[in-house]
Amino acid sequence: MISVRIHGRGGQGVKKAAQILARAAYLAGYQTQDFALYGAERKGAPVTSFVRIDKKGINTRGYVWEPDFIIVLDDTLELSCHLKGRKKTTKELINTDQKLPIKVPYCHVDATGIAVKELGKNIPNIALLGGFVKIFKPITLENLEKAVEIELGKKHPEATKKNIRAAKQCYDKVVC
Amino acid sequence: MIDILDGNQCAAWGARRAKAQCVPCFPITPTTEIIETIAAWKAKNEFKGEFVQLESEHSAASACFGASLTGARVFTATSSQGLLLMHELLPIISGCRTPMVMTTVSRCLSAPIGLWPDHNDTLAMRDAGWIMFICETNQEVLDSVIMGYKISENNKILLPVIVNMDGFVHSYTRTEVDIPEQKLVNSFLPHPKREIRLDVKKPMTLGIPAMGLDYMKFRAQLHRAMMDSFDVIDKVQKEWAKLTKRKYDFVEEYKMKGAKAAIVMIGANTTIARAAVDEMRKKGKKVGLLRIRLFRPFPEKQIRKALEKVKNIAVIDQNICPGMGGILYPEIKMALSGTKKTISNYIQGLGGNFISEKDYIAILNDAIKNKKEERKWQM
Repeated sequence: MISVRIHGRGGQGVKKAAQILARAAYLAGYQTQDFALYGAERKGAPVTSFVRIDKKGINTRGYVWEPDFIIVLDDTLELSCHLKGRKKTTKELINTDQKLPIKVPYCHVDATGIAVKELGKNIPNIALLGGFVKIFKPITLENLEKAVEIELGKKHPEATKKNIRAAKQCYDKVVC
Repeated sequence: MIDILDGNQCAAWGARRAKAQCVPCFPITPTTEIIETIAAWKAKNEFKGEFVQLESEHSAASACFGASLTGARVFTATSSQGLLLMHELLPIISGCRTPMVMTTVSRCLSAPIGLWPDHNDTLAMRDAGWIMFICETNQEVLDSVIMGYKISENNKILLPVIVNMDGFVHSYTRTEVDIPEQKLVNSFLPHPKREIRLDVKKPMTLGIPAMGLDYMKFRAQLHRAMMDSFDVIDKVQKEWAKLTKRKYDFVEEYKMKGAKAAIVMIGANTTIARAAVDEMRKKGKKVGLLRIRLFRPFPEKQIRKALEKVKNIAVIDQNICPGMGGILYPEIKMALSGTKKTISNYIQGLGGNFISEKDYIAILNDAIKNKKEERKWQM
């Protein structure tokens, strides 16, 4: 089983990121589970979401304590707290354009910069997922594109296009 | 049709496929998404039933009662304090033998205010005369809502049904779900004409006063209908299994073969406990798990049979009856009365307090060793 934990703030699309990632994994042939955890819903508050994928079914649920991947959508979060439970093999992908005060190696890309340029607002979730599929090869960029189309739906064709453009840029620019 | 849905959307799909004719409701976290989903369908005319948002859960339950009395197929959903506000109506709905299905999405009770799940809200309804299914998976929620109508509307039963799931860890967890075709549900679930219903052309009184012995006879009938529902539930579940290959039972055994110790529990966290059982089985420890799916009527016989050869039992209660302990514990003890087993009680997960596989492994390791019955809190 591969587990992913996503950290961000209310309004950045933390829950949606998990849903899109799970949908993309499903399209790549996995069984999936996604889940988001929040308290009283409000913008700016820390939000966490989770994705589990496995080709043979998933036999657990709830909080992911020891994730294989940690995705951080906001570098102003208390990182030491959000990197809890990391294993030696855990990979981090952080949305940032600066050097972070953490001791672990991490992949990074300025998803916010790209999202602001493409969407005109700081919703870096889908952009950063573009970076993720670069790191996690079993899910392709095509799977991600299709998943964005399904999850954002026909209601937002413009947003879908812009987000896919942003995701492709992050795919190209992510540094590990 | 396979789609990725969360528990709430599954409940809504159940109501849609069952062609619920009236959905009176009042939103509350973590149920709101069920109502939102149905409202969005209604706006697009994809849902044909009446959709009514009332000013409170009490009014919503009253509207459900009235609508069902006219013979309509009724659906609603609520959680926590909302369910408690409905409570006044619940024994009236069952007492008047009014069929309907309600999804309850478990959330802990105030005070203090919490949003995350435990079972004190739904288990508080255990004496209300409703048939109660407590689900573990999204598919099970969808299937149980559809099966619920078939059980509820059976002319020998005529009892309302609760289909419960946990808030957040279940209601907001998405997995792949098979949405059965409308045609299949239509053939499985015809809408039987109700003999006793409100009709302006044939006026009648329902919910009459009945004192002493008369009252007791009504309650005896209600109890008998509940006990008779075992057979009906069994038949309905078997019929559904034939159509969909998805088997449901009153209780669900997991790796119980040769088990010396077992966890007994309800709800979504069962999925986490399964992972713990897998882990321990890999190490050669003979442990298993029993999930109670049908909570009312209480499947005493099946529980007794499933636990026949198990020596040490850990009953998990994600609820607290202050001054007594876990709610499930005494019920399991009753089902096993007269047997020589060590039955311990573990209170955990109140207010959605996080639980991991490690916690269940600790409980099982503890239970295996228990010589005396323990009653513990796991925090």
